[in-house]
Amino acid sequence: MRSASDTTTATSTGRGGMLLKGAGLLVLAALVLAFPAMAPDPFILSVGVVIMSYAVLATSWNFVGGFTGYISLGHASYSGLGAYATALLVIHTGINPWVAMLLGGLVVAALAVPIGIASLRVRGASFVIVSIAMVLILLLVFQSWGEVTGGSNGLRVPRPFGPDVLRPEQHERFFYLHAALLAVALLAWWAIDRSRFGTGLKAIREDEDKAQSLGVPTFSYKLTAFVVSAFFTALGGGLYALWFGFLDPIFQFSILVGSYMVLMSLLGGIRSLFGPFLGAVIVGYAVEFFKNQYGDTQFHLVAMGLLLGIVVLFMPDGIIPAVSSLLRRFRPEAASIREVSQADLAEQRRRTSSPSTSGTARVASPADGESTGDADDGSPDRLSEGVQR
Amino acid sequence: MTETATGTTTATRIGLATEGLTKSFGGVRAVDGASVQFHHGKVNALIGPNGSGKTTFFNCVTGMIKPDSGTATYLGQDITGKASHRIARAGIGRSFQLCRVFPRMTVMENMLVAVRSASLRHLVAPARSSAEVERARELLTRVGIDHLENSEARDISYGQQKLLELAGVLMADPETIMLDEPAGGVNPALIDRIASLVRDLNAEGKTFIVVEHNMDLVMSLSDHVVVFDRGRQICEGPPSVVQNDPRVLEAYLGI
Repeated sequence: MRSASDTTTATSTGRGGMLLKGAGLLVLAALVLAFPAMAPDPFILSVGVVIMSYAVLATSWNFVGGFTGYISLGHASYSGLGAYATALLVIHTGINPWVAMLLGGLVVAALAVPIGIASLRVRGASFVIVSIAMVLILLLVFQSWGEVTGGSNGLRVPRPFGPDVLRPEQHERFFYLHAALLAVALLAWWAIDRSRFGTGLKAIREDEDKAQSLGVPTFSYKLTAFVVSAFFTALGGGLYALWFGFLDPIFQFSILVGSYMVLMSLLGGIRSLFGPFLGAVIVGYAVEFFKNQYGDTQFHLVAMGLLLGIVVLFMPDGIIPAVSSLLRRFRPEAASIREVSQADLAEQRRRTSSPSTSGTARVASPADGESTGDADDGSPDRLSEGVQR
Repeated sequence: MTETATGTTTATRIGLATEGLTKSFGGVRAVDGASVQFHHGKVNALIGPNGSGKTTFFNCVTGMIKPDSGTATYLGQDITGKASHRIARAGIGRSFQLCRVFPRMTVMENMLVAVRSASLRHLVAPARSSAEVERARELLTRVGIDHLENSEARDISYGQQKLLELAGVLMADPETIMLDEPAGGVNPALIDRIASLVRDLNAEGKTFIVVEHNMDLVMSLSDHVVVFDRGRQICEGPPSVVQNDPRVLEAYLGI
């Protein structure tokens, strides 16, 4: 809720800002919905599905990376587990594939609890190493455990839509399914972002010990975010498995997939709701482009490495914050600290002095307006009114 | 402001207390069997030469680090080795020696971090609920930085960050507030402001435990002074007594 004194500098979130955000959201939704119709051929449509899949994974990764600042390079563990869980459930129990996908997500979420308890004890580089170790372990397990997982021969996943649904239509359906899953993940991220829980998570990212000293139960917070992240990542993996129809451990449990999630999120901006989505569109498109142009070489890896270097060096906060700070420069009122000149101050005092008595005594004192204007100069209405104009 | 009744009892009530608290780092006994009692409802000062273990003592009783041995109690309740968020919710808030705020969050967001209840309803509630924001604004106004609420904490001055840290601690509504060098690195005008805030809050019933090197401030502000040397208490009492104690002079001047 906004109150009267909220006008202090909060221009970007005012009614105009809300309207602009709403319009932007509508345009984005329209673009996504119209994409299958606009795609010139099934190949481009399938690239769209891949990009949406990346967007789901990166957004899911961002529940941990963005909120808590714990950078997991091994999130392929959860997408891979989700994919295999979904596939194995469909193959062995014959249940509805969508139910299998959801169950797979829940199974992985349950597994994420002990994994999280173990790995979230360490911070920084140690956490990154633990997350990588996890992927490598899973890769070995799924390769060796051939009779269940199919090993390196791979695992064929039955398609959820019958054989009479042609490939382009498969792509279209899966594009929308991925978009729907992405929407749910974004909604969840948004809900956490504005909750008290989210504030606690962001405080952990900034200074974990300090947050704890303010009463934030940091470990349970981190663990909850980690499990939510694993759940959505697993759903993304499961949906991908149902679309792609074939799983190979070397691609499922790959450090590269996890690195892509990180790169995409960093590129777009881990503090922004749509940052990972934007990053997925750019990186996903670039990867597919390089693969298409240069075939199955390692060239796309070099390009991705370069991109990561550029992002970290020049846009450490990602594209969205960089662009919005650029835009803010053209809006004089949005500066975070606004200086009030002597003349302004005297004028405000003069006006406030008539209805309230608080200002009158000090009108004559010019020293008040110095940089210590934040000091004990009485009426709180003064500043809010000053910035309103 | 919520008025916490202090009562007018003359008898001293013990708030935070430790018994034989010890913490070593390698071969160094930073805190060496410290047995200390702080007076509840008063302004307590903890002083001592550099390296006498004051900050480590702070960290031990607030759960930032686990003591090797000894006990810490708060109002008779054992808090030894408890996690810091539990100690915070038991009613002890603290600031840090080199002022710690959340740099990439706005001043208002900094204020909304404090958790006073572990209920699920509290956690899923929007962070910017009107009641919380109102409360935060009241406190920001009180410390005098209410006009900065939408600035990122890293953009405000060091002095303002100190005030923000104090206001953020107050958001958790602690009964006891531990301040680690509140006057460190700030200008004299701000020191006066912090001192008067401490006095006012104490009059409203808050207990203070202050680590401070500014002796004028310590002597004018505190009701009870505890002197540390080599990780343990060497002397305690009202400022006037402590000031003239030969052990204190020896610890500080080495004579």
